[in-house]
Amino acid sequence: MGARDGLQDEPDISVPDTPRQLALADEPADGAQPVSPDDPRSMGEVYAETRQRADGGWEPRQFDAPRSELGRFNPERAGLPPISLDAADEYIAQHRTTRPWLAAAETASPEARRILVALDAGGGHGHIRHEGGVTEEASMRRAAYREDPAQLDSEKRTRGIDGLKPDDRPHRCGDIATRVTDSEAFATAFARGVEHPKVRALLDLPFDPDVRPGEVTVPITELLDADGHQFCTGWQLELGGETPDAARQNRADWLQARAGGRDFDGPEPKVRPVSTFEGGEMLFVVGRNRTGDGYEIVTMYPRPPWPGQ
Amino acid sequence: MSPLYWERHPEGPFATLIRVAATYCSPDADEEAYEGLQRLAKREDYEDMQVFKAELREALRDPSQLPDGELSESVQYDDGSTEAFLRRLWRDLYGDEPFDTPRDQ
Repeated sequence: MGARDGLQDEPDISVPDTPRQLALADEPADGAQPVSPDDPRSMGEVYAETRQRADGGWEPRQFDAPRSELGRFNPERAGLPPISLDAADEYIAQHRTTRPWLAAAETASPEARRILVALDAGGGHGHIRHEGGVTEEASMRRAAYREDPAQLDSEKRTRGIDGLKPDDRPHRCGDIATRVTDSEAFATAFARGVEHPKVRALLDLPFDPDVRPGEVTVPITELLDADGHQFCTGWQLELGGETPDAARQNRADWLQARAGGRDFDGPEPKVRPVSTFEGGEMLFVVGRNRTGDGYEIVTMYPRPPWPGQ
Repeated sequence: MSPLYWERHPEGPFATLIRVAATYCSPDADEEAYEGLQRLAKREDYEDMQVFKAELREALRDPSQLPDGELSESVQYDDGSTEAFLRRLWRDLYGDEPFDTPRDQ
């Protein structure tokens, strides 16, 4: 099942933003400012960005993309359909309504845009859940409540329904949700990762429909230069004195109780910003492509340094 | 340093079990991937799965042998405990076949 297959025609992209739901994430960081009446961001987004700045040390910045290098990117090396600059523009014009994450590609350089569109035409979901188009709030809520940024129906998103799988299957998320905050940086990391020997070793495996090549990591510094970690943010489930197993189980039970309208004795799940990505890695997951006849990078996202996440 | 146990310790104990479980059972793997693993478990031409099955047996016999926290970190299961995840995995792949036998037949 490809990323394109589970979408609805008329998406509702509003984000739940009630004070109660925000309170579940944790207390605001020191220095949180009230939202200005002319600030276009939601309260939840202001809250998440403020915490990410205060506790994660993050500042919005623009990545200086190597455009000529990105211009040489060959989608077919990544198991993706070939696409030209003009065709990428046409693709966005055709799909921007039903695939709102393409807005990030629309404002990127033409070279980065072509890469992001090639990804979107494939079956991967890295650019949908881990790229600059995902807000801090959406990333935060994914880690806390397993809300899928790819789910365009707000009611289903709140219920933790996956936006890309059929039959209203639950969205799964580990105890950490991360993203590359700049579309140019995401496209650069992807393009360079495709040619990295560790990633190539998986992409070039002979195809077997039962076999999933798996996961490899590449240092962020090898993909985005020395300051590449500054383009990464993440949210991590708080353990609350429990083991990671117990914390994830508690989150699952809490979400199930909420979905059923039942009381639950355990604590509400809380998350905190990842403190740093300096020394971290980019994870590449290689699996079957959308047409089921080859391999592609099904997702890519940053991981904090190990140990000490 | 890689967060992936099998990259940090390619020859480490249970490296195949943890790598295969992460590949097919983590949140990044969908239902199709899990179904692929179920088919692989029935194939005799895939050497990785022989090692995987032997390590899964060993882990079920004594989960305390597993490197501390590595399976949980790699797979991110919601089963609540390593034992519960391993038992579900064995049941899904090998059905009623007992895991507590001396060696794979």
